Order: sequence, then C-alpha cells, then structure tokens
Amino acid sequence: MLLDFHKLGAWRWVLTAICAVMSLFLLLPILFIVALSFGSSRWLIFPPPGWTLKWYEELFADPRWIGAALTSAKIGVIVMVISVVLGLLASLALVRGTFRGRAVLRAFFLTPMVLPVVIVAVALYAAFLRLGLNGTLPGFVIAHVIVALPFAIITITGALETFDPAIEDAAILCGASPWEARLRVTLPGIRHGLFSAAIFSFLISWDEVVLAIFMASPTLQTLPVKVWTTLRQDLTPVIAAASTLLVALTVLLMIAAAVLRKGKSE
Amino acid sequence: MFSAATRRGSGLGFAMPAILLLAAFFVIPVVFLLTRSVTEPQLGLQNYAALVGSTTYAKVFFNTFLVAGVVTLVTVLIAFPVAWALAIMPGRWASVVFAIILLSMWTNLLARTYAWMVLLQQTGLINRMLKAIGLIDQPLQLTNNLIGVTIGMVYIMLPFMILPLMGVIKKIDPAILQAAALCGATKWQALTRVLVPLAAPGIASGALMVFVMSLGYYVTPSLLGGTANMMLAELIAQQVQSLVNWGMGGAAAFLLLLVTLGLYAVQLRFFEPKEGR
Repeated sequence: MLLDFHKLGAWRWVLTAICAVMSLFLLLPILFIVALSFGSSRWLIFPPPGWTLKWYEELFADPRWIGAALTSAKIGVIVMVISVVLGLLASLALVRGTFRGRAVLRAFFLTPMVLPVVIVAVALYAAFLRLGLNGTLPGFVIAHVIVALPFAIITITGALETFDPAIEDAAILCGASPWEARLRVTLPGIRHGLFSAAIFSFLISWDEVVLAIFMASPTLQTLPVKVWTTLRQDLTPVIAAASTLLVALTVLLMIAAAVLRKGKSE
Repeated sequence: MFSAATRRGSGLGFAMPAILLLAAFFVIPVVFLLTRSVTEPQLGLQNYAALVGSTTYAKVFFNTFLVAGVVTLVTVLIAFPVAWALAIMPGRWASVVFAIILLSMWTNLLARTYAWMVLLQQTGLINRMLKAIGLIDQPLQLTNNLIGVTIGMVYIMLPFMILPLMGVIKKIDPAILQAAALCGATKWQALTRVLVPLAAPGIASGALMVFVMSLGYYVTPSLLGGTANMMLAELIAQQVQSLVNWGMGGAAAFLLLLVTLGLYAVQLRFFEPKEGR
C-alpha cells in the first residue's frame, strides 16, 4: 500500500509537500536569474526596482561575449560531428563486432565519463603544452570529444541494440553490399539514437567548463570560460542575461529531445 | 553460406579511431601526469610524503570528504521521498516534477552556481528574507565557506540521485507492500522494514555515485567556497596552474584517481544488478 498513491492516507500529503518544496528549490533559482536579467538593479536587488533590457544590450554590444559564444558554437558543432561519427563506428564494433574483449572495450570507452574531469583537464593541459595545442581550436575540440564520446557511445549502442540486425542481413540478401546495407538500412533505423547523440555531444561541449578553463587563452575562449572569468571578478547582471539565454537554449533543446522521443514511440 | 564474421570482419577496425583518440589524448596524458608525481622535482615519493605530512593538505582532504559526505547524506534524505513520490504519483504531476528536474539538470552549471552566489551573498535574497521574518539580526556568512559549497552541491547532485532511485522504486512489486500490510505491519514498519530495505541497493549505489562526483568537483567549490576552503580538485588545479608544481599536482591527482576508482570498484562489486547468469 505504500506504493499505491491513493491508499497512502495522510502520508500522501507529506510526500506531495516534499515534492513541491524540492521542485521549488530546483526551479526558483533558475527563475530568479531570469528575473534578475530583466531587473534594473546593478546590485541585483530582488524584487528589482524596475525592468530593463540594458544587460542584454551590454551583452550584445560586447564583442568578447559574442566572440566567446561563436567560438563555443563552432567547437560544439565540430565536436558533435566527430563524436557522432566516432561513436557510431565504435558502437558498430561493440554491438555487431565478433572480436573478444568487447565488454572490456566498452568499459574503456566509458572511463573518461567516470573520472573526475579535473584530472583529464590537467593531464591534457600538460600534453598540450608540449604539442602547442593550448589555446587553439583543435585543442578545445580534442578535449571536448574525449568527454562527449562516452555519451554518444552509450546513446548509439542503445539504439543499435534495439535494431534487429536481421533487417540489415535481409538487405544484403536482396543484393545490397554490406556498406550499402549499413548506410541505407541501419543508419535510418537508428536515426533517433544518432540525433540524441548529436544533441548530447553538442550540449556537453557547449556547457563544458573545467577542460575549457585549462585550454583557454586570452584570445580564444568559450562562453563558459567567459562566464567563469567574469564571475570571479563580480556578479554583474550581464551574467544573468547570458545565463537566461543559456536557459532558453536548454529549454529549446529539451523540447527538441521530447519531440524526438515522441517520434520514436510512434 | 558465409558466416556473419567473415562477411563483416571481426569489427574491431571500426572501433580503432575512437581507441586511438582515447589512447593518445586520454590514457597517455593521464599516465604521464601520474608518473610526474614520482619523478618531479626528483625521483622518489617526496610529493606523497608532503601531501600526507602537512596540515594544510590535511585540511584540504578533510574539507573534501566532509563536504562530499554531508552533500551525499542531505541528497539521499531529500531524494528518497521525492523518488518514492515520483514513482507512484499520478502521471500529470509526476511529469511536471520530472520536467523541472530535467530542466535543472540541463541548465548550465555556471548559471546555476551564479544563482546561488547571488542568492546566498550577504545582501542576497536569503539573508534579507531571514532578516525580514526576524530569524537573524546580522546577515549570515553563506558564501566563501563550506555552507555555500554544500548548498550549491546538493542543488546540483539531487537529479543524479532522484532519477536512478525512482527507477529502482518503480521496479519494486507493490504486492510485497500489500503483503506487509496484510500481515499487520503499520505504515511506519512497512516503510522502515520493507520499502527502505528493498530500495537500499539503489540508495547505496546512488549515494556512492554522488559521493564520488562530489569528491572530484571543481567549479562549484571554487566559486562558492573561496580559496580559504579549498577542496581536492582545486588543489590539483592550483598546484598545476598557479604554482606550476607538476609533481605535487600529479600526486594529488593520483590520490583522487585512486579513491574514485576504488569506490567504483565497490560499486561494481556490490551494487551492480547481476544479469541473469
């Protein structure tokens, strides 16, 4: 009866109340930033004495913010493509391959996800110092692919595992070459998995802070690095404006992901 | 008739690009960093001796484990009732709460941390509300200390605890709890002797994951904790970035790696569901 909501009696209200308070705890800080970004107080007084768009104007007038956002977008797209392609190839090997040690290989692919990212960041920073890759676009891309790849592999192997290889075999029996079968039968069959992997990979790169802090140079930095360096100086409402735009993007991508899921269940 | 294996090869070749990338830019750099802990400034274990022997570093370890422990405990205490409610709530409300959890989880980490830096500062909303209702006279110091770090970390870790735990509770057969009730168990007994023990593997594995993630966290502790309340990840970054002491940074990284992998080994050994063998 503890697992039947309608038979919980008074406990039902206790659980509902805890849920409500926790939801507010998670939601209010986000709404709070959105409100502050439109508030006129430089000292972040809440409720704001008036409403304004000047923080957004300041944000868009500053070429460093725009430059950082463009850099982030560029890196995110490149990371997305590389991570989906490498992830797809690796997933084909893990799911369809017949070699020994596939379980070990899968665990190996997931290690960058479970290690504290600061260790990866410091290790790569040292390696890139030697290779001259710190503060370069390839440096950022490599660092972000390392942490995005595990998520792409999880998503794509998941999609491949639910896709019946017999369909691919059928295409081959009907005269398709193995490559043709993979490209024209399997790929469309797992397209939802590939789209989710792409969204995940982009978001991971777009939001990533720790690696980016180590890779950044004064001339090349991503949006999170720009937020980070600004935050360490002061809590200006411009950050609230930037954060609000980031929240808006998150909501859009969440809706995109939900639409994808719906498409999948149809 | 050709077999699948000869037609497709063994398939290992497909994995090669990913393997080579990870070998070159993950395995080798990490191994190299760790070896520097015993080779710089000279061959030997002096970096580890310094890490273990000094009170400054002892405080860093203490802070790290204290914060990770408290964050894990608070997260479990909040997450259990929420996950329980989410597992059995009527669909519409559950999906609203679920959407809020996902939104919070996917919102940029720095944006969320910024929110808490503003909320918790001396002139922030929390202090002014506490003052307004007469609980305090002087504003409380809530940032640049471990209280701020703990609040910020609980906020970030909650989704990672709630979501897996919800899955575990959903899988529990309601009939077991009906049986408990039929046998005369009160609600409290059914909770403490049936539901919690049945959910225990999920609670333990979620708690372990939150604990491990908290140990190595960098961003939130350094923004909400300040330099006086350093945690392990910040120590590693500081040794490497500001002090250019690669030996020490490598040693601290090795200790963090050791604890992390050790706890994951515990997780795999005891809490992974053993699939039908």
